[in-house]
Amino acid sequence: MGLQYLDNGWIGIFITLVMVFLILFNIFRAHGGKDLYIRRISGLDSIDEAVGRATEMGRPVMMVLGLSTNVNAKTMQAINIFAYVARVAARFANPILVCCADATVLTVCQEVIRDVYQQEGLGDQYDVDSVRFISDRQFAFAAGVAGLILREKAAAAFFMGEFYAESLILAETANSVGAIQVASSTEVTQIPFFIAACDYVLIGDEFYAASAYLTRQPVLVGSLVGQDWCKLAIIGMVIVGFITNSIQLRGGPNNTITQRWNEGKFEDLPKPGAFKIGDTTLSRWLNPDPAKDMKFDRPKLPPEELPQKSSGGGG
Amino acid sequence: MELFAQLVPKTFWNAPNNSSELMIKIFIGLVVGIALFYGLMTAPAQFRRPIVVAVTFVSGLFYVLFWLYPAPINRQPTDGPRNLPESVSFWVSDSQAVVSDITNIVAAFLIGLGIYSLGRVHLGKVIKKQRDWQFSAVLLVSLVVMVIFGYADFWMRLLPENSKMAGSGYVGWTFWQYGRDLLFNGLLQNMDAAMFSIVAFFILSAAYRAFRARSIEATILLVTALVVMLSLMGLVEFYWGAGVDHIHASNNFKLTNIAAWLGKNVQTPALRGIDFGVGIGLMAMGLRIWLSLEKTGGMN
Repeated sequence: MGLQYLDNGWIGIFITLVMVFLILFNIFRAHGGKDLYIRRISGLDSIDEAVGRATEMGRPVMMVLGLSTNVNAKTMQAINIFAYVARVAARFANPILVCCADATVLTVCQEVIRDVYQQEGLGDQYDVDSVRFISDRQFAFAAGVAGLILREKAAAAFFMGEFYAESLILAETANSVGAIQVASSTEVTQIPFFIAACDYVLIGDEFYAASAYLTRQPVLVGSLVGQDWCKLAIIGMVIVGFITNSIQLRGGPNNTITQRWNEGKFEDLPKPGAFKIGDTTLSRWLNPDPAKDMKFDRPKLPPEELPQKSSGGGG
Repeated sequence: MELFAQLVPKTFWNAPNNSSELMIKIFIGLVVGIALFYGLMTAPAQFRRPIVVAVTFVSGLFYVLFWLYPAPINRQPTDGPRNLPESVSFWVSDSQAVVSDITNIVAAFLIGLGIYSLGRVHLGKVIKKQRDWQFSAVLLVSLVVMVIFGYADFWMRLLPENSKMAGSGYVGWTFWQYGRDLLFNGLLQNMDAAMFSIVAFFILSAAYRAFRARSIEATILLVTALVVMLSLMGLVEFYWGAGVDHIHASNNFKLTNIAAWLGKNVQTPALRGIDFGVGIGLMAMGLRIWLSLEKTGGMN
């Protein structure tokens, strides 16, 4: 829920809006025909190699969407990457297997993969069972996918999306059948497991750069460059924060204050207190005031509009 | 049992039990829903995209307002809004539960599609006696048996005479409760735990491959991991600490302090850096979806 911005905390919103502007500005810049540079990402270059290898071996390409329980931005990005993989596989007439842990994701994924086959003029080769729902329980999903990898002897495995403790089970199982593996998790806690077990890993925002890198659509490339501008802005803010906090916190424990910011104004302290990190100007600007004790004289609702006693159920 | 639109407290989105207002709202909701579906299905191809774009934008706009619009401070259940900005913030906060319920309802409809997918794949395998069809048979039998026992247990617990059953161990349990307990707690939970325990063995094999000093990066990883692991071994840490005690500023050379320094000054900043990148990427992706700038399908 949005916070109440009395006269602080607004800077967080301002920074968000600046970032939105930077991304949109670059999208329109790229749309105008401006040629923008993207660095090489080896994990994405390996997709063609992995699918080609699967074709040579005559084994399927496995794609796993992780445990997303809904169609969100992470899942859509993973589906975008898988659409590209499916397109390459379709051109080589290579079988694919897409595993989903959520029925909503399954529906969207089936539509996207079917579209890909139709765009390639290979609609008749699309197998509706190639996109499967496995289970929405974490380890039942892990067991199901691991079983599929072992039985089908996948030659290439792509793990993209939200992965948790099951990441290593999947990656090690694919490794045991000699599959070439390309992985990415939006959960930083799982990236080390993928790095340890997989051949190629998309780390952090490389995952979100994937569709721009693979398709070179102007909108996506512009968005990617906008993201880089945002990162530069954040680096600038970190440097500004480092300098201003260092100046304000100089003197260590001897640096005391007599007033502290509370509920939108400075209040006198009963006795001088230590200057803490939360007292710095930047911290005050970035942290919205909870304003717990503020009271307002609001009009009261008429009795018929008042909350009713629930007889249970319904929420 | 109350209906979806009878939630309390009273807001724009609900109405008193059995009132005509409630029935009118349910009717309007149904008509709008059916009209939307019908409109989308019969609309000419060139209008479908604008409709989808508009619905996506309006849906996204709600959450943009929800997270960015100032929330009412210390709102009491009896409070009315003081002015227009507060009316908007009251409306937005009241609507959140309803909007998220819409998502849940759509997801609930789609679970049927998931089961259909499972049934289609595995039933086909059993009927055609394809390779490993026995596993598919086990899955289908488990699915049906679990549903039967789960629902039987659920309905029996709803009966007034069985009200004591909830949370009271085995009191009043019948065949259905014991059956559900055996299937859920006795089998499913244990199989989950067994799968999770496999991670321990996989960590060993993955770490063995990752920690081979094949490159400078892998060697740095190996040494760092070794320091962190040794710092967690009490005996090693004790003797190491005794060994470095005579050195000037020995605290800096204690394994626990080196490991803490690595965690605080190397690992945390790296994770924050990745988090920043992921956060910005997520925001850009969300923005593209919200404004319908994203074209799925891996166009090439």
